[in-house]
Amino acid sequence: MGTALLHTDQTIISYTIAAVALPLAASIINFCLPVKSKAAGWISTLAILVGCVLSAIVFARVWNQQPLHTQKLWFTIGNTKVFAGILLNNLSALLLLLVSLIALPVHIYSTAYMKHDDRYSRYFTYLSFFCFSMLALVVADSMVLFYAFWELVGFSSYLLIGFWFTKDKAVQANKKAFIMNRIGDIGLLSAIIIIFAQFHTFDIDALFGQHGLVKFMGPDNGQWAFAPDRMPSNYGSVWTRGAMTTLPAIWQYIACAGIFLAVAAKSAQFPLHTWLPDAMEGPTSVSALIHAATMVAAGVFLLGRVYPLFTDTELTVLAVIGCFTAFMAATIALTQNDLKRVLAYSTISQLGYMILAMGVGAYGSSLFHLATHAFFKCLLFLVAGVVIHEMQHIKEENNLDIDPQNIQYMGGLRKKLPLTFIVAIVGSLALIGIPLTSGYLSKDGILIQAFEWSEGRSAWLKLIPAGALFTSWLTAFYVSRLIVKIFFGEFRLLKHHPDIKLHISDGGWQYRVPLILLAVCSLFPLFSLNPFFYEKAWLFESLKPAEFMARENIYHTIIPIGVNILSVFVMYAAYAIYVKRNTFSFPQTGFFYRLSYNQWYLDKIYKKVIVKPILGLGKTCFWFDRNIINGLIHSIERLSRAVADLTAWCDKYIVDGFLHSMAALVQSIGNFARKFQNGKVQYYLYSMLLIVLVLFILKILI
Amino acid sequence: MITLTDFLLVGALLFCTGMYMIVSKRNSIQVLIGIELMLNAAILNLVAFGKYDKLNNGGQVFALFAIVLAAATTAVALAIVLNVYRRYKTIDPDEIKNLRD
Amino acid sequence: MTLVRLLFYTMSFIAIGSALYAALSKNLVRSIFIFFVTLFALAGLYVIALADFVAVTQVVIYVGGILVLILFAFMLSGRETLNVIEQHKGKFINMAKVPAVILAALFLAVIVNIILKADADKLPWVKQAIAQKNEITPTSSTIDNIGVNLMTTYLLPFEAISVLLLMALVGAAHLSRKEGRA
Repeated sequence: MGTALLHTDQTIISYTIAAVALPLAASIINFCLPVKSKAAGWISTLAILVGCVLSAIVFARVWNQQPLHTQKLWFTIGNTKVFAGILLNNLSALLLLLVSLIALPVHIYSTAYMKHDDRYSRYFTYLSFFCFSMLALVVADSMVLFYAFWELVGFSSYLLIGFWFTKDKAVQANKKAFIMNRIGDIGLLSAIIIIFAQFHTFDIDALFGQHGLVKFMGPDNGQWAFAPDRMPSNYGSVWTRGAMTTLPAIWQYIACAGIFLAVAAKSAQFPLHTWLPDAMEGPTSVSALIHAATMVAAGVFLLGRVYPLFTDTELTVLAVIGCFTAFMAATIALTQNDLKRVLAYSTISQLGYMILAMGVGAYGSSLFHLATHAFFKCLLFLVAGVVIHEMQHIKEENNLDIDPQNIQYMGGLRKKLPLTFIVAIVGSLALIGIPLTSGYLSKDGILIQAFEWSEGRSAWLKLIPAGALFTSWLTAFYVSRLIVKIFFGEFRLLKHHPDIKLHISDGGWQYRVPLILLAVCSLFPLFSLNPFFYEKAWLFESLKPAEFMARENIYHTIIPIGVNILSVFVMYAAYAIYVKRNTFSFPQTGFFYRLSYNQWYLDKIYKKVIVKPILGLGKTCFWFDRNIINGLIHSIERLSRAVADLTAWCDKYIVDGFLHSMAALVQSIGNFARKFQNGKVQYYLYSMLLIVLVLFILKILI
Repeated sequence: MITLTDFLLVGALLFCTGMYMIVSKRNSIQVLIGIELMLNAAILNLVAFGKYDKLNNGGQVFALFAIVLAAATTAVALAIVLNVYRRYKTIDPDEIKNLRD
Repeated sequence: MTLVRLLFYTMSFIAIGSALYAALSKNLVRSIFIFFVTLFALAGLYVIALADFVAVTQVVIYVGGILVLILFAFMLSGRETLNVIEQHKGKFINMAKVPAVILAALFLAVIVNIILKADADKLPWVKQAIAQKNEITPTSSTIDNIGVNLMTTYLLPFEAISVLLLMALVGAAHLSRKEGRA
């Protein structure tokens, strides 16, 4: 961008850089500290606090203003100049603030939660490093830079999932997460390469911005070319930005597929979602920050960045996959007994909603839901952290052999953990989408727009909003089940171990403050003054598409009412089932139960269909390598050894032999001459006489 | 009449025998005997040629001198043999190799 | 074949044969004693060569002096030398002696060749001596002439020899003294 930046803009840019760089600095400082240093937590927290304030200032300046874009030449390959810089528009400013805002309570919470860990400062090193990667990812303006931070985010997530690397399950989980993310990264990388081949630039603003190139291109007659129906009014000036290349349309599909693969891996969409439940092996605070609020949102963020690339058909595919993921994850969450796994599947389900929203064109609602979901899901994870922490406490105090994350052992904790209970209720209601919470605003927006979208489309596509609707009831059920099992009824552990002591509480201020903060953020006032109409939310208004329909059709009234009434019924049903146990009991052996409990057997299918053949292939390759390639190499080796032996033989007996025979000759001559000096008098005499004789003979003969 | 050549041939034979003894014998005393043989061969020659010098008797006188010298030589040589024996406990000239390089 | 010639051949044969025996014998004692025979035969040859004084001196000095000295040396040098030497008895042809034999034979051939070529009886000075009657005949006495010559013509060598003998005696006596005071 050639235009000189204003002074205020430069201040904002430097604030942004500072906000991004502070966690990195904290990470580096913590890395140098001893592993048990308690200062590490406060260094990281301070960094993120300052970063949060700076982000807020940046957000206030950028929101609803012209996007800010600055860049510097990074490197040059041939004639291609690659720039690195910062792009601040609504989307990135929102994410910047959101990530900092979520990270702050999580940091505070972590200082208490990880207090007794042996590698306290390492934890904060990783955590700060993650924050740095995520913030940089959000503000990066170049696809190359974006990819780099995308990788770093995955890497720090890998480090944190495997933070307790002595646990075998944690190691397996972080390996799985890493490999799954690799699949997505391949997609993203190929997409970046294809886009570069088409447009000759990595610049996100130039590609996807307001006057971006991608908008005007689409598959047409088998070519990925300039699309007449997207023609801009002033297109003449547009083409001056980059040379025009025309690739076959297939490349556009591949690029979209690659992007989708990346999104699916990062945001845990079907079929690459299986790593996220396993990633819960990491510390709970990490799950709250990374695997509920921020990193998994990176996929949605990526979609938001490259949104203009997708055509209508591709968006439909996205919607279908999002809907399916949401539904599947919700059904799985119904029967899981592990507290964090329930939340993990719930996260997958909600991410499915966001993808669905992107697919149906509800771009603003999707990001709105991303923001609200970040708060309440983070809150729920932190609640889970408290509960698990206390269960762990009970377990250790009474020497019990139980899984502290299993909700079967819990119950009646509302009396012991009153604050936790209250904020958990808030978070759950937000997740279900009950009015007065933020979740209601965003989720109903998605549902309504999904129904609007399906208008005038084929009957099959009507299944998408229907599925989303059904999923929201399922959500209500499993969330209620979770809350009821944890907080209502009797403490079930007492049945088996009547004599255990319960010394548990909500914990110190490091626990309380983040919970309260996040609970407040999960309520409606932060996003909208009107608790019932999502259209009025300021966040949505800034992001909504231009052709957004106002409240003009019936969905806007029917859906919220229908959803909520049914949700309340479902919640009551759950309460009745799990507390009273007198009305209805699920058959725990049925097909659907097993399907859900075993997570639709996807892990097993993957194991059978992908892991085993790959292992078999590996073994075959190993065998091939061992017996054929190595055999070949060995025979070559033997041949060369034989040649070498031959050479050595030649060297030894011909070359050396010649030299040795020369030496031996000289030596024998020497020895022969030496014999004359053997000290024997008679020999000397003999020699003398011999010489005399020879002289005589010569004299006679000559 | 016995010719000069006959004496010379006998002397040559004795000389060569003495030479053989000197070179081949492994006992100092036998070596000494070889030396005496050679001396005697020479004396025989002197005596034989001395026949033709009646006036000065050069051959015979020198034969006498040679005999005397042989006696002296033998005396000294035997003294040396004794010394050698005392030092090396042998009189085999092959065993005495102090002249070696 | 005159008697003189017969005697000459006999003496020559005895001298050469005994010398060869002395040379080839591996027994030191035998070779010493057979050496007597050689010396006696040589004395005989001197007589045939008309040098009776030299022949007598030969017998006196050699047999009486030198051989006694040799026997002394043999006896003083101990018995074990004998044993060592007798170990080589078994080998009839000793390869170590072959070079010496060849050397001696070649020398003999060379010397014989020279003698035959020189043809000593036809030498000018020999002819001249025969012509001037400067030749000793079997009947002439030479002893007085030798005595005169020793004291006149050969006085200087005679004295020198006597000094030399003295020195040899002193040296031999010195060398054969016992070690320890040396």
